[in-house]
Amino acid sequence: MKARKLVSLILSVMMIIMLFAGCTSQTAQPAPSEPEKPAEQPAEEPKADKILKFGGTGFGGLFNPIMSDNTYDTYVADILFEKLVTNNAEGEMVPVLAEWTISEDKLTYTFTLKDGIKFSDGSDLTTEDVAFTYETIAHPDYNGPRAYAVSSMVGYEEFHSGASDTFEGIKIIDDKTISFTFGEGLAAPANIESFLYGIMPSDYYAFDTWEDFLALNEKPIGSGMMVFDSWEPKQFIKLMKNTNYWDPDNGAKIDGILISEVPDESILSALQTEQIDFAQISSSAENLQAAEALSNISIANFLGNGYTFMCFNTIKPQLSDVRVRQALMYALDRESFIEAQYGAGLATVGMAPISPSSWAFPDSSELNAYKFDMAKAAQLMDEAGWTMGNDGFRYKDGEKFHVNWLVYTDSSWPGTLSGMAADTWKQLGVELEIELMDFDTVSSRTMDAAPGEKDFDIYTMGFSLNIDPDPSGALFDDDAYVAGGFNASGYKNAEAMKLVKAGKAEFDTAKRAEIYKEWAKIMNYEIPHVIIAYRSEIWGINNRVKGMDLGTFRTWDQCLKNITIE
Amino acid sequence: MKNYIIRRIIQMIPVFIGILFILFFILEQAPGTPVSNMMIPKMTPEQKAELAQKLGLDIPWYERFVNWIGEALHGNLGYSINHKKPVVEVMKDYVGPTLLLSLVSLAISVIIGIPAGVISATKQYSITDNILTVVSFIGISIPSFFFGLLLLKNFAVDVQIFPLFGLKNPLLMSTNPVDKALDVAWHLVLPSIVLGLGSTASFMRYTRSSMLEVIKQDYIRTARAKGLKEKTVIYRHAFRNAVIPIITLLGFWIPSLLSGAVVTETIFALPGLGKISVEATMTRNYPLILGINAMLAVLTLMGALAADILYAIADPRIRYD
Repeated sequence: MKARKLVSLILSVMMIIMLFAGCTSQTAQPAPSEPEKPAEQPAEEPKADKILKFGGTGFGGLFNPIMSDNTYDTYVADILFEKLVTNNAEGEMVPVLAEWTISEDKLTYTFTLKDGIKFSDGSDLTTEDVAFTYETIAHPDYNGPRAYAVSSMVGYEEFHSGASDTFEGIKIIDDKTISFTFGEGLAAPANIESFLYGIMPSDYYAFDTWEDFLALNEKPIGSGMMVFDSWEPKQFIKLMKNTNYWDPDNGAKIDGILISEVPDESILSALQTEQIDFAQISSSAENLQAAEALSNISIANFLGNGYTFMCFNTIKPQLSDVRVRQALMYALDRESFIEAQYGAGLATVGMAPISPSSWAFPDSSELNAYKFDMAKAAQLMDEAGWTMGNDGFRYKDGEKFHVNWLVYTDSSWPGTLSGMAADTWKQLGVELEIELMDFDTVSSRTMDAAPGEKDFDIYTMGFSLNIDPDPSGALFDDDAYVAGGFNASGYKNAEAMKLVKAGKAEFDTAKRAEIYKEWAKIMNYEIPHVIIAYRSEIWGINNRVKGMDLGTFRTWDQCLKNITIE
Repeated sequence: MKNYIIRRIIQMIPVFIGILFILFFILEQAPGTPVSNMMIPKMTPEQKAELAQKLGLDIPWYERFVNWIGEALHGNLGYSINHKKPVVEVMKDYVGPTLLLSLVSLAISVIIGIPAGVISATKQYSITDNILTVVSFIGISIPSFFFGLLLLKNFAVDVQIFPLFGLKNPLLMSTNPVDKALDVAWHLVLPSIVLGLGSTASFMRYTRSSMLEVIKQDYIRTARAKGLKEKTVIYRHAFRNAVIPIITLLGFWIPSLLSGAVVTETIFALPGLGKISVEATMTRNYPLILGINAMLAVLTLMGALAADILYAIADPRIRYD
């Protein structure tokens, strides 16, 4: 009996070992593959160490320049497909496949393709392919997110509705020359951004039904310096060097790119163990500190092109007075918020609705940073007629000052900010109700809802920006105050709109900068949308990777031809 | 028996349609649409509305419900909005890894959990039983994200035995299927331990309580009185009876094999159905949500039927006629 007891005790102890240190018993079988790995790889694939390894989350599988709708798929599309133009590190447009001229009336863009451009399958890239790419965006069945790239060109409506078989605004002049004409009155320097989409080979992508076209999303062919090798959904994407690249002198100096799905939690560990070469690290003081402690990586820390904002529903009686909006901002300690959320130096207090790295950003001394000042906040509230009641809340005409704030939990900063506001606004006499929800719900209650049905007082969100500072169509456009439009504030200002329109159409950069400066000052005072912060991006890059000069206007795929691996 | 099965399957049809109806209704009530999260300032409201219309969102939900059933009967579950490909194909991409992970972890939990439960019951209140009980409570209560990160820290970062993410080594150039299988197995070790731990513990507890109940029965005493060996008493007489509720449990386990384990899949970056169903929900990808949930509904119904049938097989006293 005793012996049996002993045996079962041993058995149960073994089980515990299997459970916890369980790895040991589990390793037994697959272990042989593990020590082989380092030895076997160089032998079978001599250049595996010349493959650049990127890690991140969120690859979708739409590897197509006109269909991709998230950052990561867009990286892949931008590497595999070349565009007519791109931007340099300063944010200026430069030729890739074609040089261009702009007509006298600024409406027609004529592109001349460089010589000898070939797709990776060996076929020539001609204006036929350029026209095909843009006509596909205008196709009646097109269901991707890029319709705006062609919708202001002449003849879009007719072509898109199917009424016409030809797109009047796109003219093939010869094999090498093609012109695009924008509609009357729509001349704008930002129109060049319509040509930032990769060119697809018309023979390969020709389709009878839209489903045929979509089926090629996972089998892309372009003219870039990499070709698509393989992918496994939600695991990895493998690109290999395009050995037939048409411009061999500027081709890739690495043998391939491996993009792996790595969860946020593991990014730093993956960099540390060199399972990836580089990745974006989510911006926080702890992460920066942990990344700096790793000796095998260097850190790129630069301002991101975007901002976070807070929107006031100015239709609501308690928020229609500019003094109230300003009081709420004075009573919000954004410097402490930035310190708590991102760490000092990883974000700055927002002022103008323009990226600080843009030429259009005004001198900060002319803008109000709404520095934390409770006395000033209280004074503004008093002036606006909201007087402090006995219960510690402010009242006007018997109405208590109550606001709700839609906070999405998909990222953490709206929660931090609203939590801090709950404390300081309470001292100001404001009753704040924080409603937690997901991103989609926030946007459906704010932007999607028709004016008059917008069910919120305050919401917060983050936006990334284009290089061109033109704000039309977005948060500050009076015309975007409709169901599905981006302006949910209900604030209208004819003078500001005149500036927006003038800025959009002005081709002289110095004059444009003046216009936007005026406009930014108005918005900084009126704050229907207040810019909360400009955030920095942190990237960790392994020391073996050289030539990756990231910046606000320079993504890693744009550095590709300079990248070498030691 | 045959008649019983046919009758049960026919009964499933209205239940299944009822489930779908509720699903459509809930989706309709949820705020937001698949185009709500398109944050492209250059996109005009008209362009957004056109996309919504192409997705059929302007049709009332009850009409969409009828259309969906009509199409589903022809095997067409629609197009996944984010993936821009048929829902069936998206599910095919992700079902394999999920099934692999859940089968491995289920195997671990059955192989370890049931014997441990038997030992625990036969040695009730002994040190062995106490240790196993403590372990199983730890197993049930430890959050999988914590346990997963702990294992990763110890065995993928500090001691680099196992990979940090993924299901395959993309740089493995070998075409030998054995190497490939070993590579996948090597990637699955940590995730299946994490996923298996919780269910091992619950199988252990179920088996233990079920065994304890059986051991106290008269026929066990009779068996002992006959002078049978303790092993025979426990494994032939007691265990066969104790295992019946466990079989039922296994039947209900079937849908969870495919529903995926969101947390484990996320931490180990495994391409599973759990992760994409959460993504689909966050982006209001209606066709994919419906496809996955319809599949799970069918599996749940089949699982219940399978449990009843297995019940009859394991227990000769049960007859369905």
